[in-house]
Amino acid sequence: MNMNYMELTEKLVKKCISLGADAAEVYLETGRNLSVQVLNSEIETIEEASSQGVGFRVFTGGRMGFSHCNDFSDLSLEDTISRAIGFAKLSTPDENNVLTDNKGITRVADLYDPGISSEPMDKKIKMALELERLAMKSPGISKSSGAGYSEGESEIFISNSNGILKSYKSTGCSLGVSVVAEKGDQKNTGDEYCSRVFFSDLLPLEKIASSASARAIELIDPVMISTQKAAVIFDPDVVRSLFGGIISALDGQRILQGASFLKDFMNKQCASPLVTIVDDGTISRSLGSAPFDGEGVPTRKIILIENGVIKSFIYNSNAAKRAGTVSTGSASRGGFSSLPGIGTHKVYLQPGKYTPDEIIKNTEKGLLLKEVTGYGVDPVTGNFSGGASGLWIVDGKITHPVKGVTIAGKAPDILNSIDMTGNDIDMNRSFSAPTVRVAGMQIGGK
Amino acid sequence: MEKENNRVRDIPRRKFLEMSFKGGILIATTPALLTQLVSCSKGVKASSSLDIDPAILSKAIAKALEKGGDFADVYLENRISRQIIMEESKFRSGLYGISQGAGVRVISGNKTGYAYTDEITEEKLLRAAEVASYVATSGNKVTPAGISVSSRPSFVTVQQPLGEIADEKRIEIIRRADQAAKDYDTRIKMTKIDYNDEVRSRVILNSEGVYLKDELPLLFFIVQAMSDDGKARHMSRERLSRHSGFEIFEQVTPETVAKNAAREAIAMLAAGDAPAGIMDVVMQNGWGGVLVHEAVGHPLEADNIAKGIGAFTGKMGQKVAADCFTMIDDGTIPNARGTINFDDEGTVAQRNVLIEKGVLKGFMTDVLSAKQLSMARTGNGRRESFRYIPIPRMTNTFIDTGKDTPEDILASTKKGIYVQSLSGGSVNPVTGVFNFTCREAYLIENGKKTSPIKGATLIGSCMDVISNIDAVGNDLDFGPGICGKGQAAEVTAGMPTVRIRGINVGGSKA
Repeated sequence: MNMNYMELTEKLVKKCISLGADAAEVYLETGRNLSVQVLNSEIETIEEASSQGVGFRVFTGGRMGFSHCNDFSDLSLEDTISRAIGFAKLSTPDENNVLTDNKGITRVADLYDPGISSEPMDKKIKMALELERLAMKSPGISKSSGAGYSEGESEIFISNSNGILKSYKSTGCSLGVSVVAEKGDQKNTGDEYCSRVFFSDLLPLEKIASSASARAIELIDPVMISTQKAAVIFDPDVVRSLFGGIISALDGQRILQGASFLKDFMNKQCASPLVTIVDDGTISRSLGSAPFDGEGVPTRKIILIENGVIKSFIYNSNAAKRAGTVSTGSASRGGFSSLPGIGTHKVYLQPGKYTPDEIIKNTEKGLLLKEVTGYGVDPVTGNFSGGASGLWIVDGKITHPVKGVTIAGKAPDILNSIDMTGNDIDMNRSFSAPTVRVAGMQIGGK
Repeated sequence: MEKENNRVRDIPRRKFLEMSFKGGILIATTPALLTQLVSCSKGVKASSSLDIDPAILSKAIAKALEKGGDFADVYLENRISRQIIMEESKFRSGLYGISQGAGVRVISGNKTGYAYTDEITEEKLLRAAEVASYVATSGNKVTPAGISVSSRPSFVTVQQPLGEIADEKRIEIIRRADQAAKDYDTRIKMTKIDYNDEVRSRVILNSEGVYLKDELPLLFFIVQAMSDDGKARHMSRERLSRHSGFEIFEQVTPETVAKNAAREAIAMLAAGDAPAGIMDVVMQNGWGGVLVHEAVGHPLEADNIAKGIGAFTGKMGQKVAADCFTMIDDGTIPNARGTINFDDEGTVAQRNVLIEKGVLKGFMTDVLSAKQLSMARTGNGRRESFRYIPIPRMTNTFIDTGKDTPEDILASTKKGIYVQSLSGGSVNPVTGVFNFTCREAYLIENGKKTSPIKGATLIGSCMDVISNIDAVGNDLDFGPGICGKGQAAEVTAGMPTVRIRGINVGGSKA
């Protein structure tokens, strides 16, 4: 079916109004995805599908209602819109229920790779098989948990009764592998993946494979350490475990509700001067980038924390109006079936000047953190606690692996005791950060 | 609904699964199309494409097996969902959703081919069947059996069908909960209340001739309460969920749910820093069963066992846990949130004893893993929606009741941590290393529950924890959750009060 979705989206806004809404927004999404999983040199699963869906946000007398469906027949669309209008009557009027009238679109290059779908299926299967074979080659690796290739493309259309009508297409593809290292009764898994907008930007298979096997092997033969306070060096891959909750604490809605430990910190020092955090949805050829957010507001680069000082909270239209400010283009959308929330596009922590080796050499005693489990920082209280594994450092040298310990602290203390940041940032990660050293944290062991 | 707060997260660090299979990047690019993680809610039955002639489904099965294969099935689904959100005592929005579609699957040897469509038409089903048949290039070829209309027992009874409930009644429930939370204590500054109900209709036809149809209602009510006394702050949570009609609120009132949330929020205002290191833990009955859901349940799902990498691989019939430890997965508990009548492959739900008095007795299988391991199907093949292939999943999973009284268990514990409720946790099913996070916990000093402590992470390995359980109470209870394993499933986790010797506690106090 070759429907003109742009026209349909615009037409549906008018339909909402004619059915009784004062104002309306239509968010329509179409997409396609493919995934191949292989295990022990054989195909395990192949999944392929295309799908579509549309969400209606309507306002009557300042009250909001929402509905969604994935059946685009006239009857179903009209019924679904009527449901939203009926539901709006149940809500509480809110003067902050507004739709954007910003017709701008941020120009972001290269969000769509037209070549992904024309790459042959056999090639994608072979890549996954080869990735698994390469990862299994390393000495010490005994089993595979599988390897996979997946891709997706989607097109998003948004229109509202303030006259905006926008769309964009995006793609993504990803390769991943997971292997197991065994020694006696010990087992350790190692995973690595690579995700890109463009198929041709995927990293060489050898690189992904060797990183997965190295992770599985490096924690074999751990030695338990005693409960103590020591430096903790976060590997770039696990920095998110610390900063994920801090980003949530900057959510403008949370701030307004008083449900954030950072609520009183605007323009105040909340972290070491080494901490600068940016959310930038405008980086070309980058996953997470978009010309506009989940409400159609153009995306921009937002400095969240600069040299340890909070510079901006993040807002969608509703929270911004309530706070007396403007949307930061941070309306997130879990797809056509959900209301706009608040989220980030592409967050990175500004790199510092040290190589990871220099950071290790300058650490008298500490844990080089490779894996963190648990919920991370609680955005309400700032409390942090997690399970941890990594490599133990004494006098600037790695001495042995450590597994099954815990790390904990309070986010303000942890943020303020960041005393070294690395120069080793990989901007292709979904959350990009360099190596980060925290001078001292409580470590729980024997 | 904030998914972070309501998920029993499974394997978040297994980036490979997250990123390459059903998530990460794909979530970023095509979010809803791949992850309808928390679209619970409910409804009235609209005209549905599920009434499609079964002969067309048979054609799709035949097409799916044209190139070979051992098994094929077609799964049709229609889900009508309703959600009402209250925040800060205001009804923010109502959400109404209709989602329908169909998936066709082919199993050939160890390979699975899968394709789905939003449109339930002959043309689209045959196209999906053709795509799914891609994996079957050689080997076996089965001839599909003729359709035999099958029946399964139902473990879900409904007195007040959700479709007949006026929205005003739903609103009233939310309002009552909000009021009760605020009335509990002036330090309750805000509530977030999330009401969800849904009716999921399924039609299943497979190449063995099994043809099934049913409809499952699901109700999920979540109250969060935030306390703030100017010095400390705590966001609590209480949940109620059953496969049930609206009568659930006569059995458990919204006031009860709200008061429980408010009680936790106030109690935790006084929380001090948790100690760090290895100590004894007593866990209160109920949702704490998520401990074994994560630590033992996931590793007993047969997919990893069939791959030969699961933590319990090769241990069937062996002693793996303490004598006092019996663990069960039961998809037949009347109206429970994890109850399914039959799984999403059509296998009848049953009570599966996984570990009996410390001895490993069973794994949880789906069609594929049962075939790979030459085991029986246990009724655990579940899927989040038609957009996902079925995989082995838990239903209502619990530690069976023991003989100790909860009072004796606490009194006989000199020093340690008393965990009243947990947020959730995760496990690496290959290594069996798990973690879970306390919501409400207290110090134990001289056999008594004393001061509250801040949310600490507890970690350990599954083999150690089940060997180190040395007391099991006689007060079995359950709590509702959402389990994530690349796709979401509604479950309950349960247990009596138990004591585990020597768990590593992630506290910040030196």
